Amino acid sequence: MITNSVVRIFLLALVTSATFVSCKKTEEDVIDPDTKNSVTVEFENRVGDQKLILGTTPYKNASGESFSLTALNYFVSNISLKNENGTVQKFPNQYFLVKQTDAKSKLITLKDVPSGNYTEMSFMIGVDSLKSVSPVTERTGVLDPTSYGDDGMYWSWNSGYIFLKIEGTSVAVPKTVNANQNFAIHVGGYGGGWNGSAKTVNNLRTITVPLTTKATVRANIAPEVHLFVDALKIFDGPNKLSLATTNSVHSPAVATPVAENYKTMFQVDHVHNNKQ
Amino acid sequence: MCITISNKNLAHRALGLLGLRASYVMRLIFWLTGLCTVLMGCQKAEPDAQPEEQIFQKPANFPEPVYALDRNRPTAAGMRLGRALFFDATLSRDGSIACAECHNQAYAFTHHQHDVSHGIDNQVGTRNSMPIQNMAWQSTFFWDGGVHDLDLVPIVPIENPVEMDEKSTNVINKLRKSAKYPAMFKDAFGTDEINGPRFLQALSQFMLTLVSGNSRYDKWVRKEPGGTLTDDEQTGLTLFRAKCSGCHAGELFTDNSFRSNGLSISPVNDLGRAQVTERREDRYKFKVPSLRNVEKTLPYMHDGRFYSIEAVLNHYAENVQFTETLDTLLQKNGKLGVEMTAAEKRQIIAFLKTLTDDQFLRDTRFVEP
Repeated sequence: MITNSVVRIFLLALVTSATFVSCKKTEEDVIDPDTKNSVTVEFENRVGDQKLILGTTPYKNASGESFSLTALNYFVSNISLKNENGTVQKFPNQYFLVKQTDAKSKLITLKDVPSGNYTEMSFMIGVDSLKSVSPVTERTGVLDPTSYGDDGMYWSWNSGYIFLKIEGTSVAVPKTVNANQNFAIHVGGYGGGWNGSAKTVNNLRTITVPLTTKATVRANIAPEVHLFVDALKIFDGPNKLSLATTNSVHSPAVATPVAENYKTMFQVDHVHNNKQ
Repeated sequence: MCITISNKNLAHRALGLLGLRASYVMRLIFWLTGLCTVLMGCQKAEPDAQPEEQIFQKPANFPEPVYALDRNRPTAAGMRLGRALFFDATLSRDGSIACAECHNQAYAFTHHQHDVSHGIDNQVGTRNSMPIQNMAWQSTFFWDGGVHDLDLVPIVPIENPVEMDEKSTNVINKLRKSAKYPAMFKDAFGTDEINGPRFLQALSQFMLTLVSGNSRYDKWVRKEPGGTLTDDEQTGLTLFRAKCSGCHAGELFTDNSFRSNGLSISPVNDLGRAQVTERREDRYKFKVPSLRNVEKTLPYMHDGRFYSIEAVLNHYAENVQFTETLDTLLQKNGKLGVEMTAAEKRQIIAFLKTLTDDQFLRDTRFVEP
């Protein structure tokens, strides 16, 4: 009867629509590698479980030393994304300078990423050796050694970039070292060896982090990878560094333990795969 | 327009239809081909065919330059801009010190009579300013070789707190606001944009033109007029080759290496090359300097401790100190230093003075504009 047929039609409609929906879903899973989109990587600097605020906010390291921060800058380069099929997408000749004072610099956009499900990201902290010895005309934007003003990221007397610098104040810094108890830890050293000169320490470090939530690049999905960057690891990584002794680092050899530490400070917190 | 006819038969037939004989056709093809080549050749050569006077010239007795000239070949406008910058105290924090302050032409662009250079606020550094000459042949710069590219050299004195104590970013900003520089940058680089790379390249262009290769010695080597050496000078040259050229090698009179030459270690305890390489074996090693214009570049050594060439030779003859990195050439046969009699020293010095290049020291192209 009428009620019965209404129910039947309703059910039929339901099944049909379900079929359509599932069809649509299977369509979506087909990855068209010819389509591209961007991937944004956000570097959120923190200190342990606290927000990183430059100025007088007090933090404490594992050595029990109280400190505050006035600068945290680092170069990010040689980014690559690994597809679930193992294909690696590289982003050569793209250099980024992340500065705590510049909110925009903490968002890195990788353009023209082929659609795919990405499961791993790698990047270098610093400026690779090839770029470190390149002609000045190829050092534009953040690599222009004359561009840093008072916020230096370049060693002029020992030509090379400062890969990462962290500066601040701590009562642990002996006044005999710095009257204002300021500390400045600058890490650089691309390995030297240019023009047949001697090799120097190489503090370039590559960080590889898994994307446990895949970054699913599609024509209509531009994923955002959100990284937590724990500055506390600079002191409390594999090497326990005390500000009483490690407070003025300005050359490659002494900077190596610092580089080993900051290698561990990046982790992916989450990935957004929102549709556009 | 050049049309290449690849299929001869087809061409023959086509032209045959027009009633032309094959021999004419062939001649025509040859002629056209020739014309094409000539035209193309002209076209291609045109951009290079601006025979601007060669601002940078390699002396015939010099080796090939190390500097990548293809990247930044000096032009008249670039050299003028670099020279203006070289003499401009705007490059320092308070407008008091120009490059030329510590690099004076009359003394082969070094700081005459200053053991270590005086910078801003009368502060002093720890090292003797090096001459600026024949920069295109240097692979590393400064006493410790910390800089590997001439283009990156100017940032060092500009940003050194005891030299010019300015940020290069500020220098660029000051130049942008100046009345004269935008036009000069346009002349040198095509547009009036002032940026870091252009600023550095312009200074390099000026420094590259500072070629000293016309001393009496050079003329003697090249058998040019005025190229005469006295007997003493020639004996001095023979002695020099035997005793000094192990380090002061070739026509540049340096092998561009870093060596420890047995100076007593001063309270400054300058580690030299080891400051850059951070290697124990590089301690107390310094760049072997060129000896061109050595008569004028006093005082000598990285810290300017010797005021005369005689003092330098006396050091090598009598005062070489043993250090763990002392160069092996200075400890031959179980003896420290270089054996030289008083007469030999005098003759070596006589020869060294033939490396003075008055033409270079007085060249009006290098004078403050």
